[in-house]
Amino acid sequence: MSDENKSSSNPSGGEPTATRSTAPMWIIVTTLVLLFVGGYYFDQHSGWFNKKVYAPYSSAEQLEAFQPKSGEAAALARGKVVYESVCGICHGADGMGKPGQAPLLAGSEWVTAKGFNRLAHIPLMGVGGPLKVAGKDWNMNMAAMGAALPDDDLAAVLTYIRGAWGNKASPVTGEDIKKIRANMGSPKAMTGDMLMAMPE
Amino acid sequence: MKTGVSVFIAAFAALGASWCGFVLAPSLQLGGAGQQTVLNGSDSYPIQRTGDATLGAQVYRANGCVACHTEQVRQTGVACEVTLTSLGVHKPADFVDYVRSLSVLPKLAPYTNALNASLKDWTGELPKTLMTSSDKEIATEMADRLKAIGIKSETRIVATGADIARGWGLRQSVAADYLYDQPVQLGSLRAGPDLANIGTRVLDAKLQLQHLYAPKSVLKDSTMPPFRYLFEVRKIGSAPSPDALTLAGEFAPPAGFEVVPTTDAKHLAAYLLSLKSDAPLYEAPFTPVTAAK
Repeated sequence: MSDENKSSSNPSGGEPTATRSTAPMWIIVTTLVLLFVGGYYFDQHSGWFNKKVYAPYSSAEQLEAFQPKSGEAAALARGKVVYESVCGICHGADGMGKPGQAPLLAGSEWVTAKGFNRLAHIPLMGVGGPLKVAGKDWNMNMAAMGAALPDDDLAAVLTYIRGAWGNKASPVTGEDIKKIRANMGSPKAMTGDMLMAMPE
Repeated sequence: MKTGVSVFIAAFAALGASWCGFVLAPSLQLGGAGQQTVLNGSDSYPIQRTGDATLGAQVYRANGCVACHTEQVRQTGVACEVTLTSLGVHKPADFVDYVRSLSVLPKLAPYTNALNASLKDWTGELPKTLMTSSDKEIATEMADRLKAIGIKSETRIVATGADIARGWGLRQSVAADYLYDQPVQLGSLRAGPDLANIGTRVLDAKLQLQHLYAPKSVLKDSTMPPFRYLFEVRKIGSAPSPDALTLAGEFAPPAGFEVVPTTDAKHLAAYLLSLKSDAPLYEAPFTPVTAAK
């Protein structure tokens, strides 16, 4: 390049003229290699342009690793799903019950009791006859709606009703339900008095 | 013009490259975005705003709220919080000793001081947050070690960052939060607080309206200008309006008068109440605080 430039500027004092000269190949190659490496680095650290990956996550694998999988929150969320498909039809999505169909669960002393033994027997065995719920008398029959649910789902739904709508009672685990199921004997519809005779 | 063709090609390439970068690529990436399901739940997100709130977005736009307020929560990191939920058969004192003994493990050693400090005055209250680590493996290691001796713990995913610490949100804002916004009013200056989650902080429309009419009546040191022209100060008719604001002291209207919000003010309040981006999403995961606690 330098030779060419020298020859293009006229040493004898006339107007200098520009001539064609090509950029050296090594600059072009280096630039392209840098662009490629930079692009690769950028892609790699932004999850390969995955639309789900935002900083501070840099890859889909990392994002996947930080998904909350288990724990109480997941159980509550599962409980909500089960509740709304099994129980909510009569007890209402807001837990307020429906007149002539089912008593309320929000603030019910059956639901928020310290122990959940009596509560768990209601969906497992069904309940019938006179029952006092939050100061109101009921006389309805409920089938054993929870008998067919897996332990974890029933536990999740009990955890949900004990924690939702302002209720503040302890959660229930699948293990607890397993124990109660093992000890409950043959299924028969409970009455309010039978439930009260049980330990809380 | 000798070089006409090459100028055209160069200009076309330059504009074409930026069109690909600014229009084509984002459209390929996010063009098909739609409603999704909330993490570990069945609710859809985002929900289309109500009519009032949709109109309110235009009031927000017309009054230049976006000049001083942003609608984007930023997150700089993610951490795992290990929280004890049950000690099983162990006594708190034995547990503290056990945790101290864990600090010889190379992975947990850097947390020794933090663990000791957090357990110093602890007498056994549950749930108890034991450690916060940005490394998932370390949190998992801790939880596994606790599980091995029958202690139950919960590992919560939490977003970290200055905005999260200020209580402006539980996670960062992502594209899904703006799915139904037209235009998206992100904002770039924070003379006032971020409003991405104002609907979770102020739940009462009346309070929101009072703040618009007289910000200083709600927050003594507020620097927000009052938006009085969104309200009507009028003589009380045969009965006071149910919409009238309850104002006291220097902010109260003269006797016999009442302050009533206009339709625009009501729409704006409805829009502000609708600003909630607090659902956990796949792309912005966190463990929500459960109602059971």
